[in-house]
Amino acid sequence: MMRPQDTARAPALLAVGISHRTAPVELREAVDFTRRGLDAALSAFAARGISPEAVVLSTCNRAEIYALGDTDTAAEQIRNFFIEYHGVDAGGVANHMYSLRGIDVARHLFRVAAGLDSLVVGEPQILGQVKTAYSTASDLQFAGTVTHRLFHAAFAVGKRVRSETGLGEGAVSVSYAAIELAKKIFGDLSGLSVLILGAGEMAELTGVHLRSQPVKQIAIASRTLASAEALARQLEGRAVPWSDLTRALSAADIIVTATGATEPVLTKTAIDDAMRARRNRPLFVIDIALPRDVEPSVGDLEQVFLYHMDDLQTIVSENLARRSTELAGAEAIVDEEVSKFATWLQAREIVPTIVALRQRFEQIRQSELRRLEPKLSGLTPEARARLDEITRLMFEKLLLTPTEQLKQIGEDAIAVDYAEALHRLFALTPEPSSSADKGDRPADLIPRARAR
Amino acid sequence: MHLVPLVFYAAAAAAYLTHFAWRDPRVGRLATALLGGAVLAHAFLIGMQTVSVGHAPLVGTTAAISAFVWLLGLSYLYVEITTDERAMGVFVVPLLVVLDIIPALDPAISPRPPLLQSPLFTLHIVSMLFAYASFALAFVLGVTYVLLFKEIKAKHLGFFYARLPSLQALDAMNGRVVTIGWIFLTLGIAVGGLWATQIHASTDPRAQAMGIGDPKILVALLSWCVYSFALLARRAIGWSGRRAAWLSAIAFVIVLLNFVPVGYFFTKSHNF
Repeated sequence: MMRPQDTARAPALLAVGISHRTAPVELREAVDFTRRGLDAALSAFAARGISPEAVVLSTCNRAEIYALGDTDTAAEQIRNFFIEYHGVDAGGVANHMYSLRGIDVARHLFRVAAGLDSLVVGEPQILGQVKTAYSTASDLQFAGTVTHRLFHAAFAVGKRVRSETGLGEGAVSVSYAAIELAKKIFGDLSGLSVLILGAGEMAELTGVHLRSQPVKQIAIASRTLASAEALARQLEGRAVPWSDLTRALSAADIIVTATGATEPVLTKTAIDDAMRARRNRPLFVIDIALPRDVEPSVGDLEQVFLYHMDDLQTIVSENLARRSTELAGAEAIVDEEVSKFATWLQAREIVPTIVALRQRFEQIRQSELRRLEPKLSGLTPEARARLDEITRLMFEKLLLTPTEQLKQIGEDAIAVDYAEALHRLFALTPEPSSSADKGDRPADLIPRARAR
Repeated sequence: MHLVPLVFYAAAAAAYLTHFAWRDPRVGRLATALLGGAVLAHAFLIGMQTVSVGHAPLVGTTAAISAFVWLLGLSYLYVEITTDERAMGVFVVPLLVVLDIIPALDPAISPRPPLLQSPLFTLHIVSMLFAYASFALAFVLGVTYVLLFKEIKAKHLGFFYARLPSLQALDAMNGRVVTIGWIFLTLGIAVGGLWATQIHASTDPRAQAMGIGDPKILVALLSWCVYSFALLARRAIGWSGRRAAWLSAIAFVIVLLNFVPVGYFFTKSHNF
């Protein structure tokens, strides 16, 4: 027996949104759904009764609503929801919004999940954000069969792209490249001591970035103790007087130099002494100053890894180049999964045909029973109930095989041909290709927003 | 039957290579499964041989190599599963394939001469094989450490950078397996020495040849010295990282030379 949601005709997939490709950051901030919570946004959207299924995806680079609906009106309604929910100027936002329909929605979501639509192509966070968006909708019972299938296919695309291509590999920012290197040298960053030389803007930026890592402690040394102390307060670190530098050097596992000095601050001799004091444990020196703060020959010392700003930049540009060569592979995976999903969507089209076929038979049975009413009036209620059951079972039996057969060809494009043939043979309504949802079906078969 | 483990080892090696090159996690799981199959088939083979000859097949270099391959496969699997790190397999499993060719070509099990009917003999062999298996892992860890070290030092982050665990992890694991290997090597040599004094009265020329002058014993003592130095240097003078990696790589070459060529061609005391 078919469950009610299986009999529901699938309205077209819709996606309406705004992203870094279409809108500047101020506008994206204005329509950020995460500010008031995804669940609040979903509930507000549900209250409008536009679509039985919906997922709200909101990151700092995009805000999108995935829904089911009947073409232009629904898309327009979703757009209005964006504007009214956030109370933004309609004229200003409308030009920056896009709306997609049908299989284009799947293609778009798959590319988003794979990181192909991201500002930094291949960044890994987006897949997690898509998962959160889906699970929020799912918890609120806003994800039905189509959404479920669509998003799980998107997760699969994200995973495949990550494991089968090198799209997400390699750091694409200097600070991330430095962190990645540190992890490759030390494994775990917790328990490491960081020393920052200098208290200027570059030192501050690096410090803030390192603070977000689980390092044990951050020490700041500057020629003026006051500025070191100021930065130390900001980074919850420790200020080191310049005179204590030798001790601080031997205690550090990672040294970042960003002073404004014109002569090298760290000489080979100084680092060599520090290495002896730290019994040759590995030391990672990052020199982001210009001119250099660290003598290049420091890199010749055993167990010392010296990277200058330029080296990190080279790594980043190599990674970016490598990512762009992986794009084709990632797009191919998206294509493949889109066509799989398209086949599934198409196969779903057979379901309304099955419903229509069964209804047609039921209509015939009912009208025949009505027509024979005068001849049956002499029967006892038990006998009439018996007759009703016998005819019903007979029709059930007749329809059983065709129904099963139709469901089996479900995963095939031939299904569409079968549907058309059935519609002709049995004069079924509505047409399988029409996306309108105004058939003469009983009310309980029309999809509605499920109550929470 | 004696070819089955070799076929499995070879298939596992191919899978580890493919996984290392393309990093498809499914191939990685397949590689682990194949190696597991190889170790199981090998255990079955050794069990069958034990039943058919009535003692553990540890007599002679060929049988010892077979047991070594099995122990190393098992130890590697243990390390892989506990650390969830599969990159080492590409270096370990081909070594298993190469070594397992010898017992696969010569599957006959030599009978156990009366001389070797002592529990000390079994303890000696098993300790030595455990030590060698640990040193083989240390060798692989050392080689991979040097490969990764070179890439990071030269600022050319490429193939190994994307595939290997961190330098720190490789170094720490190296230190651990060298320690374990050294303990077993010490035990193996001590038990061997004790046993040699017990059989000295025997008229068997091999028992007479047991002495510091025999190449097999000499080189074993040499390797003990190298590993002892490696352990001492790590603790006392901070010889970790690349130096420790080189040491463990070179020391294992000595072990391997002693195991195969010396075992077959030069020794007069260990040619059973």
